[in-house]
Amino acid sequence: MSSDVLPVWWDPAADGPANMAADELLAEEAVRRDGLVIRVYAWSAPTVSLGAFQPFAEAEACAAIAGLPIVRRPSGGGAIIHGTDLTYAAAVPKGHPWGGTPQALYDGLHAAMVDVLRDHGFDARLHAPSADDPPADALLCFSRRSPGDVVVRQGDAPAAKVMGSAQRRLGTAVLQHGSLLLSACPRVADAARHVGLAELARGRVDWTARSLAERWIAGIAVAGGLTTAEQPAAFAANLGERAAVRDAHFRDPRWTGRR
Amino acid sequence: MAELKFAKSHEWVRPETGGLATVGISKYAVEALTDLVFMQLPPVGKKVKAGESLGEIESVKAVSDIYAPVSGEVVEVNAALPNQLDTLGADPYGAGWLVRIKPDDPAELAGLLDQAAYDALVKS
Repeated sequence: MSSDVLPVWWDPAADGPANMAADELLAEEAVRRDGLVIRVYAWSAPTVSLGAFQPFAEAEACAAIAGLPIVRRPSGGGAIIHGTDLTYAAAVPKGHPWGGTPQALYDGLHAAMVDVLRDHGFDARLHAPSADDPPADALLCFSRRSPGDVVVRQGDAPAAKVMGSAQRRLGTAVLQHGSLLLSACPRVADAARHVGLAELARGRVDWTARSLAERWIAGIAVAGGLTTAEQPAAFAANLGERAAVRDAHFRDPRWTGRR
Repeated sequence: MAELKFAKSHEWVRPETGGLATVGISKYAVEALTDLVFMQLPPVGKKVKAGESLGEIESVKAVSDIYAPVSGEVVEVNAALPNQLDTLGADPYGAGWLVRIKPDDPAELAGLLDQAAYDALVKS
């Protein structure tokens, strides 16, 4: 039986490699605690995170995101421009009810966000595949559509994707990265700029990143029958040498440019 | 044809004549991943230990490690497979094989699951 406590870390801003190192170790923490764990964090500078196998050259050649630092995630999916998003990492042991298939954890966490957004007046839902979906291999995550993405409809306009996630399925755990787009990123050119919740709300902003995240996590806890336990220190505070080793890995140009 | 053996991490092994072992991914694992988009296999000559990463496979939403079910040296790779990922779903125990390994210790095979035990694992 899995743990009935949901540990949550609200972490300070860090750069890309430090965040990826912490997330990879979060997966080990899920195994150690035998349950779902969540880390919510920010970025010390706007950063592009590439999916595990996305071609580095394609990102480097994309003029719309030129000048932003690039880090490669261990998880799959498309590139995300961080800076005006709410970023999270969640992990469960493989034996957890949400660990068996990729869609289980994806839908579990996304459904909780749909509920939060609906409470704030958005016409939010989980995306169902359609023949009109954009190409699945677009560089940017928010230019793609996958089953279970959180999308917001506004009138007759195509639904806007506001939350996407992707996973790394390890030997004993599943790590899921995700991003909720709070507002369009001003640091990128139009070709890479997607509308976020602020633009979709049209001035009716009655939330903050923190309030959305708190309500989201509360919903996850209810869905999983868990009690939330806010952690007093940053997740990376007690990782020591393990974090340093993984940090070096994610700073290594051989990792970033692996493909 | 020799009986398949399975690792708990969903790779299968088929002992071949000449002492080699063919390795692939179970039908259950392929179906669970859905919509495969990319695969990276090891180079010929790579030495692996049982339980270590042998390669990686990406579906639309997830990247998964492929683990070596036995220790040994990779002597052959199904180089066409990454460009024909549909083969994994269509024929996971035949044309969808990944690599052939020369096992360090053929006795390691005895520690893997037989078909009945693996079927029970995925139903649990």
